[in-house]
Amino acid sequence: MRALFDLLIQSKHWFLFLLLEVFSLIFLFSYNGYQKSVYFTTANDVVGTTYNVISGITSYLHLQEENNQLEATNERLRKQVLAMRQQLVQLQQDSIKRLPDLPQEYDIIPAQVVNMTLHKANNFITINKGEADGIRPEMGVICSQGVVGIVYMTSRHYSIVMPLLHVNSKVSCRLRNSEYFGSLIWKRGYANIAYVTSIPRHAPVKKADVVETNGFSDIFPAGLPIGRVQGIGDSSDGMSYLLRVKLFADFATLREVSIITNYHSPERRLLEQQASDPAKQDSILKAQEEQKIIVEEKLEVENPQPDKTDTIR
Amino acid sequence: MSSLFLMRLCRLFVLLCVQVLILNHVHLLGYLTPLIIGYMMVCFHRGTSRVSALLWGFAIGLIFDMFSNTAGMASASCTLIGLIQPPLCDAFAPRDAAEDFTPSFQTLGFWSYITYVFIIMLVLHGGFYLLDAFTLANWPLTLAAIIGSSFMATLLIMFIELLVRSRK
Repeated sequence: MRALFDLLIQSKHWFLFLLLEVFSLIFLFSYNGYQKSVYFTTANDVVGTTYNVISGITSYLHLQEENNQLEATNERLRKQVLAMRQQLVQLQQDSIKRLPDLPQEYDIIPAQVVNMTLHKANNFITINKGEADGIRPEMGVICSQGVVGIVYMTSRHYSIVMPLLHVNSKVSCRLRNSEYFGSLIWKRGYANIAYVTSIPRHAPVKKADVVETNGFSDIFPAGLPIGRVQGIGDSSDGMSYLLRVKLFADFATLREVSIITNYHSPERRLLEQQASDPAKQDSILKAQEEQKIIVEEKLEVENPQPDKTDTIR
Repeated sequence: MSSLFLMRLCRLFVLLCVQVLILNHVHLLGYLTPLIIGYMMVCFHRGTSRVSALLWGFAIGLIFDMFSNTAGMASASCTLIGLIQPPLCDAFAPRDAAEDFTPSFQTLGFWSYITYVFIIMLVLHGGFYLLDAFTLANWPLTLAAIIGSSFMATLLIMFIELLVRSRK
């Protein structure tokens, strides 16, 4: 300690020199604008470069940590990609995207099957959407493969669907690429086989033809696939074909379904109801007769008949 | 000691008057301005302590800066001279020189004295002009100003020395 003190005493002129030089430089940078600006510019450059070097060293030291974080992130993202890919495959399987584009007046409500019977004479499917979701009786039900059935009853949150696998089910259908239509029925037995009746015998039918909806009812739009012709036979009266059809919809694995709503359905039904009412028909005929008389009178006023006496003269 | 102090103050006053009133307005070739205030440091005798030389150098430079509007430049340069003058004087002085040995024509001889003065002037002008320019971007001009001004200041100091010694 004493030696250090002696050393400091001996070197006091150096400390004094440094002190006086510091004072001088303080004066220099305080009262000379040019030196001041150069000093600050250089100081900023030096400080910036120093920080840059320090930052580079620090970041290099933290590379391992960052690498671990990136690995963890990569792992998490990889898992997400796998999960999403599986979800995508599932969605593609049960998606309505594989169905033909629906007309504008139709809309789709997705639902899930919560209960189903397959081997009874009157099978029913329960789905988890009801009146609260806009489901009404006589709406069509489809899945990604094709037609499933028709809504039979609804509660607030559930609905009962009468599938094609119901002895009372009857869906109007046609053969694709031809205008011959018939009705699809089910005769118990296999859960993937149905029959098309009323196809005239002169219709060009062959195996593997696709059966689809014909759009006559407002339940299903035209063109929804139902199944493929597997066998051609005659009906009991011999006047038409009885086609054995393998249904596209796999009821054994059915989980996701879609309910088709038709915005124009109420309007169409009202119109058809009015047309079938006899009293309404009479009133319409009367109104048309009155309208006809009014038009004739108007035409007579506008174009009067020439006077016969004048013509003789 | 007090007479030496007073003599130095008088010398400082005269040199400052000459420097500030006359030489500060001399710009030979546009950039050569001799600083003869360094003559004060040249004349410090051999026994002057380094601390004393440093304080005198700082004070001389500070006063010059105050009158020349060159804050910090001369004080830093003169402080540097205060650091190197005692060992430089020792180096030029004869080995058996007395404690009150003062460098001059008579004591050092013509060439040794000129060399001694030129070295001190070179350090003084070097520090001053480098701090003034504060960049090496135009270093040839700065170097020319340092060497030219040192040469001029050495000549002037020789002239003053001859004038003073001849009177004596």
